[in-house]
Amino acid sequence: MTLRQEFQFSQGSLQDFVDCKRRFQLRYIEQLSWPAIAADPILDHERNMDLGIQFHRLVQQHQLGIHEEKLTRMVNDAQLQVWWQNYLQHQPKDLPEQRHTEFLLSGSLEQRRLIGKYDLIAIEPGQRAIIVDWKTSKHTPKRQWLQDKLQTRVYLYLLTKAGAHLNNGKPFEPEQVSMMYWFANAPETPEIFRYDATQFADDEAYLSELIHTIDQLDIDSFPLTDNERHCRFCTYRSLCDRGLAAGDLNDLEDDFSQEDLDIDLDLEHIAEIEF
Amino acid sequence: MDFELAPEQIEFIQQPVDQHIWLEGPAGSGKTTVGVNRLLHLLSKDIAADSILTLVPQPTLGVVYHQAIRNPQHNINGVVDVTTVSGLAKRMVDLFWPLVVEEAGFGKPDQPPIFLNLETAQYYMARIVRPLLEQDRYFESVTLDRNRIYSQILDNLNKAVVVGFPHTEVAERLKAAWIGDDGQANVYDDVQDCANRFREYCLENNLLDFSLQLDVFINHLWSNEQCRSYLQNRYKHLIVDNVEELTPLGHDFIKEWLPDFESSFIIYDQDAGYRLFLGADPFTGERLKESFEVQETLTESFVTSPDVQTLEKRLSDVMERPSHASAYGDAREVIQFEYKQYHPEMINWVADSIAQLVHEEQVPPNEIVILAPFLSDALRFALQNRLEASDVPVQSHRPSRSMMEEPATRCLLTWASLAHPDWGFPPTSIDVASALQQSIGEMDLVRAQLLAETLYWVDDDGPHLASFDQLKHNMQERVTYLMGGRYEGLRIWLNDYKSRKPEPLDHCISRLFGEVLSQVGYGFHQNFDAAKVASNLIDSIQSFRRVAGARPLSKDTPLGKEYFELIRDGVIAAQYVKNWTLQNESAVLMAPAYTFLLNNRPVNYQFWLNVSSPGWWERIFQPLTHPHVLSRQWKVDAQWTDTDEVETNQDTLHRLMVGLIRRCRERVFLGLSELDEQGMDQRGPLLNAIQQMLRNLAVEEDDDGL
Ligand code: SF4
Repeated sequence: MTLRQEFQFSQGSLQDFVDCKRRFQLRYIEQLSWPAIAADPILDHERNMDLGIQFHRLVQQHQLGIHEEKLTRMVNDAQLQVWWQNYLQHQPKDLPEQRHTEFLLSGSLEQRRLIGKYDLIAIEPGQRAIIVDWKTSKHTPKRQWLQDKLQTRVYLYLLTKAGAHLNNGKPFEPEQVSMMYWFANAPETPEIFRYDATQFADDEAYLSELIHTIDQLDIDSFPLTDNERHCRFCTYRSLCDRGLAAGDLNDLEDDFSQEDLDIDLDLEHIAEIEF
Repeated sequence: MDFELAPEQIEFIQQPVDQHIWLEGPAGSGKTTVGVNRLLHLLSKDIAADSILTLVPQPTLGVVYHQAIRNPQHNINGVVDVTTVSGLAKRMVDLFWPLVVEEAGFGKPDQPPIFLNLETAQYYMARIVRPLLEQDRYFESVTLDRNRIYSQILDNLNKAVVVGFPHTEVAERLKAAWIGDDGQANVYDDVQDCANRFREYCLENNLLDFSLQLDVFINHLWSNEQCRSYLQNRYKHLIVDNVEELTPLGHDFIKEWLPDFESSFIIYDQDAGYRLFLGADPFTGERLKESFEVQETLTESFVTSPDVQTLEKRLSDVMERPSHASAYGDAREVIQFEYKQYHPEMINWVADSIAQLVHEEQVPPNEIVILAPFLSDALRFALQNRLEASDVPVQSHRPSRSMMEEPATRCLLTWASLAHPDWGFPPTSIDVASALQQSIGEMDLVRAQLLAETLYWVDDDGPHLASFDQLKHNMQERVTYLMGGRYEGLRIWLNDYKSRKPEPLDHCISRLFGEVLSQVGYGFHQNFDAAKVASNLIDSIQSFRRVAGARPLSKDTPLGKEYFELIRDGVIAAQYVKNWTLQNESAVLMAPAYTFLLNNRPVNYQFWLNVSSPGWWERIFQPLTHPHVLSRQWKVDAQWTDTDEVETNQDTLHRLMVGLIRRCRERVFLGLSELDEQGMDQRGPLLNAIQQMLRNLAVEEDDDGL
């Protein structure tokens, strides 16, 4: 079995490959559902994910122009209330007027599709583009950790490479593009990454190499990771014989990323009715 | 699309990008190919991908568009939206909910919407209808499974919104058309009362079933300036494929939106309308045509040969129905009719014929499809066994198959009921034996039964699973200590779970799966199919919990227990898209005829089974609703007569038959046994039509010979 031709690479799938080749194989080539628990306590994990989704929705609605007051009254959870107030009081400043929320962007690389789902892209055509990613994780990740994440590289690269239609048909210069991670729990200290031509060339080479490597790999060449830390929050751990119980939620570094859940779900569930 | 296009197709594809085009033609004339290439053409002219909206009647029909967009050779920047009208409606309701929650009459204006799927809609419907059935003797004269009572009431609500009449008029319309005894009028009143109560409950609690999602979108959001301008600013180009399969609501919506688009491309399949029972209306679809200055037609079939077209024409003649097909070929060249006395003989003939095609004529298995009006488990199982024995890969598709029938599901629910003895669903010893067989690696049924019969019992305190130590020594040896250890691992986990605070049912099963059943030595460890079933079950329970948990009907009953009650009531499981997309593409497909049609995929060879069955012709028994009376084509106050029934059944059969033939390139094999699966002797209208056609052909042959 090989990767389907219409498979779209995303930051999430590439990150999986970098973390563990076997996970990539199981998740994207075999498309194997393995419904074990990812992190414990599971109810807290689920609640964090739900609140993350609700927060993203609220911000999207706000960015679309729905009145603040109408949105505020929908916030019934104390944690969400804190994030929402943080957002209202410390929204990223100086964002260009043209806004694209929950926006999908894709382009071709190495005979493959690369796709990204952006929380927000704010654009001043011909001048600048700012990617904003809302993070609701408990801990604020270190800058270096964010810098190394595939998300940072893919999002900046993809907007530069495939965002011309957002810039009157002209590709953005790398120097016009930047990315901001905004933290709901630390709203006054966002992390900003500026882009440049060198980084763009590096990212293109790196992402091309990654995709090329995946395409060239034989199906038997997706080994289990040597770094067993990755197994703690991986649902395949029983299949790989890498432990019984799920990892502790408190040790989970990233927040819930909506992207990969949504990206392959562009076909809505099929409901068949037997009358 | 990689194959070559005909000049007329290219002409339509390359029309200016500001054109509004209506394209029609029969199935197999390459309309979807044109649609997909029109989309690629727009993109090649620097039209932004996200400004194109592609609407299809159901997600499976959008797959070819997705594939084209995702093909890296096409080098597309951006993502085209391929969706359904109801998909778009749901997204808009979710996004713009705060703007309309009060205006639409919902009872909790400071809370988000809760979207119901089929299962959860039936759950709330069940809670409303069950007491009326049991205490107030509703539907007393109706013999129908409860889940079908619930789904038909829901269907009436859906029909009201997609056809465009108030949901409070359902009974009135049904009664006006009814010419039988008065008892049925009471049944319709019961239907109306239940539908009204359900709608009120939904409004009070921000619950949105399919009908209410559409209602809110069309009647509130579409007229809301903010939502409307969001849609108008975002989408500039529209492509609609299989517009005839949309509902009148879909057609009205498109008609109203059309002038705002810079271009549109609407594709209409003549003679289709297979989703009629879901509210599709090819007539209102065809009326959309008037809005287009450019109207084009494709006539030539890229699928069927002249012989196959002649088959369509001949059968249509016999059924006295019009057909666009030509009659220059020879229908006898493309049908094979096999008559057997007994049903198993017919199955053998099908399997042998397919094996010959695959092994001797090198036909790819996915170019063969086996079709029947319904695909019973027995038929599916028999065919699967016979084909696999002949080394032919096969896949089956029954869209309404309940996942409760899967052994892996039953296994997981058996352990879940043991983990929650207070819910009062103790499994039988047979259930436990089969769950042990499924759960413990290499355990055969004999050992599993031995364990279940000796170590499992139910008494007044509930179910018990004793330890392996309690088995006599010689029995332990028979079971083996290795398997005994695994049994103990499972038993101890269950006991341990019972001693803790209970978790939600989906978490319990997920944990059991991860910590025990999928570990080395257990039955789910390398069993990917079982893992997929487990995943579907967990998804289903989770979506139920998250909806029902937000609006619990009872504070005392755990939701997991309520889920078990839903199973007992036969409420069907929602199907998940994974089931469609993960199909093994190199296998013979077994499917109900309509499922095949709605997947819109031509094949070389079709086997039609049970052609004597009236199931090819008859409407599904729906005493609580009526797809024709509750349609926009029906004249309110007209009466539904036996003649209407016969005529529409005949139309439906003809439409089905034409649809199938137009998706067949080479040959149709017709399987008939004198006695059907149940041992009955049947002669349905499809058989009559085929025999009449064969007689006509034989007479013509004789005449030619004279
Ligand atoms: S459990 Fe570990 S080795 Fe297995 S797929 Fe997950 S991360 Fe990779």
